[in-house]
Amino acid sequence: MSGRILVVEDDERIRSSMRLALEGEGYEVKDAGSGEEGLSLFTEAPTDVALIDLMLPGMDGFECCRALRRQSAVPIIIVTARADTHDVVAGLEAGADDYVTKPFVAKELAARIRALLRRARPPEEDPGALTFGNLVLLPEQGVLRQLDGEEVHCTRTEFRLLCELAASPNKVLSREQLLDRVWGYDYFGDGRLVDVHIRRLRTKVEADPAAPQYILTVRGMGYKLVP
Amino acid sequence: MKLGIAARITAIFGLGALLLSISMGGLSYFTTRHFLLAERESAAQHQAFANATLVRSSLGSGDTKYADLLASLDAGSGSHSVLIHKSKAYASSLSLNDSSIPSRLRAEVLDGSAATQTYRTGARGQAEIVVGVPIPSVKAAYFEVFDLADLDHTLRVLGLTLFGAGVITTLFGIALGRFASIRSLRPLAGVSRAAVAIAGGQLDTRLDSDSADRDLEGLTTSFNAMVDQLQVRIEREARFNSDVSHELRSPLTTLSASLEVLEAEWDRLPPRARRALQLLGDDLRRFQRMVGDLLEMSRFDAGSMDVFLEEVNVSELVQRAAEAGMRGLHEPARAPEVIIDPEVRSLHVGVDKRRFERVMANLMDNAANYGGGVTVISVQACPGEYGVEIAVEDAGPGIDPLERSKVFDRFYRGSASGRRGTGTGSGLGLSLVAEHVRLMHGRTWVESSPSGGARFVIALPVFLDSENPE
Repeated sequence: MSGRILVVEDDERIRSSMRLALEGEGYEVKDAGSGEEGLSLFTEAPTDVALIDLMLPGMDGFECCRALRRQSAVPIIIVTARADTHDVVAGLEAGADDYVTKPFVAKELAARIRALLRRARPPEEDPGALTFGNLVLLPEQGVLRQLDGEEVHCTRTEFRLLCELAASPNKVLSREQLLDRVWGYDYFGDGRLVDVHIRRLRTKVEADPAAPQYILTVRGMGYKLVP
Repeated sequence: MKLGIAARITAIFGLGALLLSISMGGLSYFTTRHFLLAERESAAQHQAFANATLVRSSLGSGDTKYADLLASLDAGSGSHSVLIHKSKAYASSLSLNDSSIPSRLRAEVLDGSAATQTYRTGARGQAEIVVGVPIPSVKAAYFEVFDLADLDHTLRVLGLTLFGAGVITTLFGIALGRFASIRSLRPLAGVSRAAVAIAGGQLDTRLDSDSADRDLEGLTTSFNAMVDQLQVRIEREARFNSDVSHELRSPLTTLSASLEVLEAEWDRLPPRARRALQLLGDDLRRFQRMVGDLLEMSRFDAGSMDVFLEEVNVSELVQRAAEAGMRGLHEPARAPEVIIDPEVRSLHVGVDKRRFERVMANLMDNAANYGGGVTVISVQACPGEYGVEIAVEDAGPGIDPLERSKVFDRFYRGSASGRRGTGTGSGLGLSLVAEHVRLMHGRTWVESSPSGGARFVIALPVFLDSENPE
């Protein structure tokens, strides 16, 4: 599998080693030493995935995420020193799709990238268009739009998450199932990924994200979509 | 036993009030008593002299109807009279006679001088004033006995009133002391609350120096200065840890990424280089694990851990963690038997799954390194505070009861028996297990397995209101 990856990392040696490792996995790598440089590189020639270190001099990783998110739905992986801090949630809320912790294993990183680049899991049977509220989801075309035709912008991961929920409406999907189907994680994946993405999705599809009508939380079990 | 400062202040106030009421009450009582008695005595003397004059003129005119004379004197005066005339005594009341008069007084009066005596009579103990007046012109002596029952009564009421006032004053003093001690200790309660908050990790807690009592300004200032210092130190340490973390992770990231590039070229490397690469890879991973453990421990120390507790089914959790633990083992081993008590099969626990995975991995790693491998992993109900216990048993020689409390200490390496191969642990594995479990509100201990090996147990609280997800 191939694709282009933007690596934003201030440590030159890490950058070089990541380039070597990711190129070894078959990716084309562009690297930047700062958030500003990364953004301008991306604007010149968008990549398929962006890998952003949270600790950057000048514009920090969160800001870089937000700026990138404003202009693109590209999958973003943040690189953080620790998994057990609020940084992860803050990064996800800034628009990241997934995260890895330093020091990471290149094979694992490659697997994460592959999972994000994967197309939505082809449903056993094409569910066709699904309408809920004033929104229409067209999984095959990768489009979520309002009834009046205006498209609702969501990231690739948000869209895939919505499709998974929509593929079995009214049925509860556990965090583990969603982590597996959308991110390709096993049982021990980080449930915060699902929670933050659901939160982000709600701001786009719910009239009142604090009192959701369509994407419901089932306590202790998971989430379900009620069209 | 040493009394507390509040009790001591209260006692001093109470004692002070008691002494005050005793002295004031006593003074009032005796002054009043003295004054009333003197007044009564002087009134009695006046009356007795007046009556004696009457007696003298009556006897002088030769009248010897003593009873009538004495009765006329008694009328309405609340006193009784005794007249001794020509050595014979006549009394106005049946209860009185010659011997009712104290003998010393009688002798004195019969000698020719007027006298007054206050005394208490016999069994009834009632107070009386006796005034004796000699009437030498008719060779008589006149005595008048005044009953002091009403004065006694007044004094008794006064005494009771003063006693009551004393009790009330003392109680009031105790209450005042209590109030004052609580009042004066209140700022200390604030200090104590602040100290508890600081000990609990809220390092930005300070005493309010504006509203503080002027007398406690010194305490407030030095307390706040101490916390400032403490906070600076802790923050410096936390920053140091985080800096170290960052500084160590960066080269490790470079190393591991580069190592993988080399490992991808494995097939093209000469055998000697392969061997070197293998050594490099093994030790790099070991080093990574050690650094990871150390950093994790330093984060536990800094208290900067975020926990993400999820409600999950305990049997699935343990099954998955056991599988993941097997995959993570350094050398392949026989898969342990996982026994789940049907009673707890559908229970839910609140855990941070990734922490739990590390806990199980560390326990299984420990069993592989020191206990001859994991034999049984069991899940069963746990009596008491926790709902469920997860146990990892090994095939080793077990742990000496004396050493059991120490195995969770950092860098603790027991009697080296049972260790084999090159140690791969950081010496922190079991301490981290205990810390992770504590963070998930559980408890860890070690006991003997039925087969004599070590049995590490994790007890976790259960979600009682969980529904069966199936």
